[in-house]
Amino acid sequence: MKRISINERANWRAYAEEVGFNFHSFDGEDYWDESAYYQFSLQQIEDDLEAPTEEIHQMVMDMIGDITRSEEMLTKLNIPRDYWSYVWNSWNKGEPHLYGRMDFVYNGTGPAKLLELNYDTPTSLFETGFFQWVWLEDQIKNGVLPAHADQFNSLHDKIEYAFSTLALPQPFYFSSVRNSVEDKGTVDYLMDIALQAGLDARYIALEDIGELKGQFFDEHDQSIFGLFKLYPWEFMLQEEFGKIVTSSNTQIIEPAWKMLISNKGILPLLWERYPNHPNLLAAHFETAKSEPLAAGWVRKPLFSREGANVDLITESGEPISANGPYADGNYIRQQFQALPKFRDEYRKQDTYAMIGSWVVGDSAAGICIREDQTLITKDSSRFLPHIILD
Amino acid sequence: MKRSKKAALVLMVPATTFLLAGCVEEPEQAMVYNSPSDCSAGGFNSTEACIADYETAQAMHPQVAPKYLSQAECEIDFGAEQCEKAPQQTTSGGSVFMPMMMGYMMGSMLNRSQGAGGQNFQQTSSGGKSNIPTQPLYKSRDDRGTFRTATNKSVAKGTGLVSVKPSQLKPQAGQLVRRGGFGQQAARRSSFGG
Repeated sequence: MKRISINERANWRAYAEEVGFNFHSFDGEDYWDESAYYQFSLQQIEDDLEAPTEEIHQMVMDMIGDITRSEEMLTKLNIPRDYWSYVWNSWNKGEPHLYGRMDFVYNGTGPAKLLELNYDTPTSLFETGFFQWVWLEDQIKNGVLPAHADQFNSLHDKIEYAFSTLALPQPFYFSSVRNSVEDKGTVDYLMDIALQAGLDARYIALEDIGELKGQFFDEHDQSIFGLFKLYPWEFMLQEEFGKIVTSSNTQIIEPAWKMLISNKGILPLLWERYPNHPNLLAAHFETAKSEPLAAGWVRKPLFSREGANVDLITESGEPISANGPYADGNYIRQQFQALPKFRDEYRKQDTYAMIGSWVVGDSAAGICIREDQTLITKDSSRFLPHIILD
Repeated sequence: MKRSKKAALVLMVPATTFLLAGCVEEPEQAMVYNSPSDCSAGGFNSTEACIADYETAQAMHPQVAPKYLSQAECEIDFGAEQCEKAPQQTTSGGSVFMPMMMGYMMGSMLNRSQGAGGQNFQQTSSGGKSNIPTQPLYKSRDDRGTFRTATNKSVAKGTGLVSVKPSQLKPQAGQLVRRGGFGQQAARRSSFGG
């Protein structure tokens, strides 16, 4: 695993905007960053990332049935009691899931360590599945990268295959909050693939979803029988229409059982079930009796996104915190594992890299890399492409 | 190869963006059938599409069908032995009745191809989408030849191709749909992916 500087494609910003990638910059800074790429060997990809991703996915899937039947675990995960039977049903009916992303610490040697599972509302999908794919094709075409360079990125193919085989109700609706350009970008990409798979895909802003007699309707009062929602389950359940979910005939993706494993509480449950697994970090639920956060430990809310409200103390005792709006729930503690540090020659600074590893259905489907100047990867962290080259 | 064989966009690229419908509502074509076998015999739709839309209509049927508190009241409108018990109950636990589904309307036409991995995807002028929702149809006691929607709009005198305006066919027309019950955290947080 190497970080290699490379010239940007001359026209990439204009191209990004042309294909609807409107969030390629963040507060005037590049979010998509092609001033460098990461290079992996095929062995690193297959043995250290792809195989553990599928193994952890199976480990987690094996736990869901037990969690749905355990009052103790459902309570620890802070799942509202009123929805326990709904979650149980969604699992036992075999409601299908589409995709998820695991985040790993990996430096090229030794086992990748799981930081968390983004199994409910993962984003950076377009950047991974489309934009970094085109980047590699362009750089090969331009003669900058060798023709046998490859990429671990079958996301587009696998999502299209999933849409064409899941037998989803039609029309199938895709939803995100109205004012998020980034979330809309992710949903647009999924709709685009769904359309290519032959689905009647339609968008509805989450705020426009209507309810009558326990059923959901679109803005033209047509029934919604299938809905992809880029909005966390834990928020939906707290909101006015939460209860409607349980009476409606709407099939939702991701399904309700995903709230059990997109929850940071799955990390201590995993550690309890598989102690000392090489790809796991020690993790525990924080309780009223927990000691203050010690050096070498991280504190994360059960429900948070994009590194928000994460506190950590490095092994040498340096505290690092990320602010955010998720400081209203319970917490877990996880053993600290530093992200690998690389040198960003373009910006003349050190940078830390985290690897996101995608899962579509039950298969590993590619990786994405996020970089930050700090040890906590956030929504503003840059996205860098990668290649496989031996 | 560890990467996708292709990564194409059809919707996100402005050059191929679908044209939005104009302000004047044009009638659209839909199909009316008694049953999936009647549908596939018609030759306009694939057997899979016939069955899929029939199942959609059947799933909607108990939700949208008009409801009565007694079998007799239902039969006054729909005829003897033309009503069945609905899955719903009154708050006091009493039975609820509804007319039987007599047929269904398919909003999706020939152009829909499912399950073929997108290989057969065809673009039509309407973008492959129909604005006519697939739905169950009923027949009233005094007009057995006419198919009606759950909201009592007559749509066809028999099976086959019909031309209808989408706005007439909202399954719950005239009733108040509540909105805004999701997304209430949107004011506090700017994006929800992670």
